[in-house]
Amino acid sequence: MNIQFTEKQLALRDELRAYFGQLMTPELVAECERDMGEGGGPLWREALRQMGRDGWIGVGWPEAWGGRGMTPLEQFVFVEEIMRAGYPFPFLTTESVGPMLAEHGNDWIKRELVPKILKGDLLVAIGYSEPGAGTDLASLKTSAVRDGDDWVINGQKMWTSLAHFCDYTWLAVRTDPDAPKKHKGISMFLVPNSDPGWSCTPVHTLGGVRTNATYYDNIRVSNDHLVGELHCGWKLITGQLNRERLSLINFGPVSQLFNQVVRWARSAQLPAGGSVIDQPWVQQNLARCRALIECMKLIVYKQSWAMTEGVLEMADASAAKVYGSEKFIEIFRLLGEVYGQAGLLRAGSPQATAEGGRLERLYRTASIITFGGGANEIQRDIISAAGLWMPRASR
Amino acid sequence: MEFGFTEEQQEVKELARKILSEQVNAERLAVYDEYQAPRFDEVLWRQLVNAGLPGVAVEQRYGGMGFGFMELALIIEEVGRSIAPVPVISYCVSALLPIQRFASETMKETVLPAAVAGELLLTAALSEHLNEDPVDPLAVTARVEGDALVLSGTKTAVPFAAQAQGILLAARTDAGVAVVLLDPKSPGVHLNELQVTSFEPQCELVLEAVRVPAGDIISRNDGARIMQWLAERTTASICVHQLGAADCAMRMAASYTSERKQFDVPIATFQAVGHRMADCYVDIECLRLTSFQAVSLLDSDVNATTEVQIAKIWAGDTGHRVSYATQHVHGGTGIDRDYPLWRYCLWLRQNEMTLGCSAVHLARLGNRLAAGEALFT
Repeated sequence: MNIQFTEKQLALRDELRAYFGQLMTPELVAECERDMGEGGGPLWREALRQMGRDGWIGVGWPEAWGGRGMTPLEQFVFVEEIMRAGYPFPFLTTESVGPMLAEHGNDWIKRELVPKILKGDLLVAIGYSEPGAGTDLASLKTSAVRDGDDWVINGQKMWTSLAHFCDYTWLAVRTDPDAPKKHKGISMFLVPNSDPGWSCTPVHTLGGVRTNATYYDNIRVSNDHLVGELHCGWKLITGQLNRERLSLINFGPVSQLFNQVVRWARSAQLPAGGSVIDQPWVQQNLARCRALIECMKLIVYKQSWAMTEGVLEMADASAAKVYGSEKFIEIFRLLGEVYGQAGLLRAGSPQATAEGGRLERLYRTASIITFGGGANEIQRDIISAAGLWMPRASR
Repeated sequence: MEFGFTEEQQEVKELARKILSEQVNAERLAVYDEYQAPRFDEVLWRQLVNAGLPGVAVEQRYGGMGFGFMELALIIEEVGRSIAPVPVISYCVSALLPIQRFASETMKETVLPAAVAGELLLTAALSEHLNEDPVDPLAVTARVEGDALVLSGTKTAVPFAAQAQGILLAARTDAGVAVVLLDPKSPGVHLNELQVTSFEPQCELVLEAVRVPAGDIISRNDGARIMQWLAERTTASICVHQLGAADCAMRMAASYTSERKQFDVPIATFQAVGHRMADCYVDIECLRLTSFQAVSLLDSDVNATTEVQIAKIWAGDTGHRVSYATQHVHGGTGIDRDYPLWRYCLWLRQNEMTLGCSAVHLARLGNRLAAGEALFT
């Protein structure tokens, strides 16, 4: 057991830190703030293409697919540095759907689309959830029906985040309505968002972040747009979700935020004398956060290590998701308390400090992570069944 | 980055688990309940000594196996899993390790081979009344008399003091902190037996002008760093002991709820039960990661003050939550003395409160943050 990075990994970290230091111009930082940390603006797009030219997209993809073949541990270093830099990297496209396309896509997808992803020229949104299909995703109703050589797609998706600036949607559809088990009749398609039958309406969330409802009205696509085998989409969905889950928990930015709050609390003076951090309850809050974040760090390190070694246990992946999502919220609360009233100031308020404004937004928006990427109840079911061999009620 | 263990480490752990799982059971533990007998299984201890386990981290030239703190910690985790009645932490960690590291060659040659062979039992006195900081003794003082030290004052909660032939302890001097290996037979030493929640044999150690000869002094004034060194290793050991005990309690509860039927189904199939157990799983994973991080750093002699404090915070919180969750899902069975769980709960409480509970370590960590220490790098 040895919880330290190698010299090579540390050198990679330094290289990336210097690279992103240059990439993140003040104008780009301002644009990303304006876009609620989601990206999509012109400077953001140009920076992504720059990263593509410099070979920083698909770092974990095998070299045969045009990537750099980094191990999950090195990818972890990469993700951490990019988060630290504050660039809203399109992980879902590059780390999650992209590799699925490179692995399972047909020749057309591999030839035409995958290289564009690596160049930063193509973005993919994910279309899984529907008004009636959330946690029970396999009950989805959006359909693809064969018509000659083509497929005709109809239906509606919910929570199609980033779709309003993406080029394609990675869409889960029902292709066999008569399959004996509902998850056996699902296939994956890549649908162009430029199709006249494709439309979206914004859904504004409490955090200010925009997501979308997307509509698929008689969209006609060729068989080339089918990914993987017909009726075998469920395997691709779960494979993608496993990749996605890992990129949800990042301790880098939160450890940086923690340091900033501690520094602020050491310097901010109380009117009655002394600094904010002299108060015992503030020290208690900060110590609690320090312990929680340390453990988050170890959990993600261990996951990256386990993936590198090929020994990632299902229960541990779910434990990481439960821990990370719930402790983020606890940490944001504890840190926000340190700011008190000032912790309610939104970033747009001239009186807000940079980290205070960030905290205000993070606390407000963190509620998404306990149900997004697989509700924590489902994760706990997985933990008790796969980690403790406890029997599960049938559903 | 490596979260696995070497083959040798796994062998040491498996050897300990084999002996302990064969030798420790509810029946054998029951004889110590309510202090019917001192909770020290000397037959088992002899077996462990014969297997070389207590000397695992002692150099080969003193008769040990020459491994490090990591291997020792893996054994301690197994002792926690079985809650075996053996003095592994107080003896192997709090006494043997600092002697090997800081004592004179003469003391090492006198003490270590006999201790490794099981002929000499040692312990350490780390707590004083209302003072759980081993680094900063206040109640016990030492004054110089020729080349000897004369100690007065009281230590409390000394494990296995009545069984030990040597007690390592620290005393305040005019110029710092002294560390000595006390012979409990010395004139002026009084042991008052305590009865604690886990039934571990513990004593209050009262010192009335006890003369410690020069040969038994490990440090005259520079003992704070020794005590820091050993307190961190002892604390990390308590954390891995807690890990073993909590993990065993959790698995007991998982098995029980998978068998126990109500409304014609195993109660494990109720999400309310499954989710409470999943929370134990997450808590224990956190305790495992933070504890072994601390052990690994200490094993490589890297500064681990922050990591040890964090591990002990988790040991306290995890121990408390796992204890109450596992008892709860067992219903009445969890408190039935004919079922093994209740003794685990006693140990989870004992470890939680020993060498500083979560609140104490949070306060210390918070203090250090206020001083600009312990930030993320």
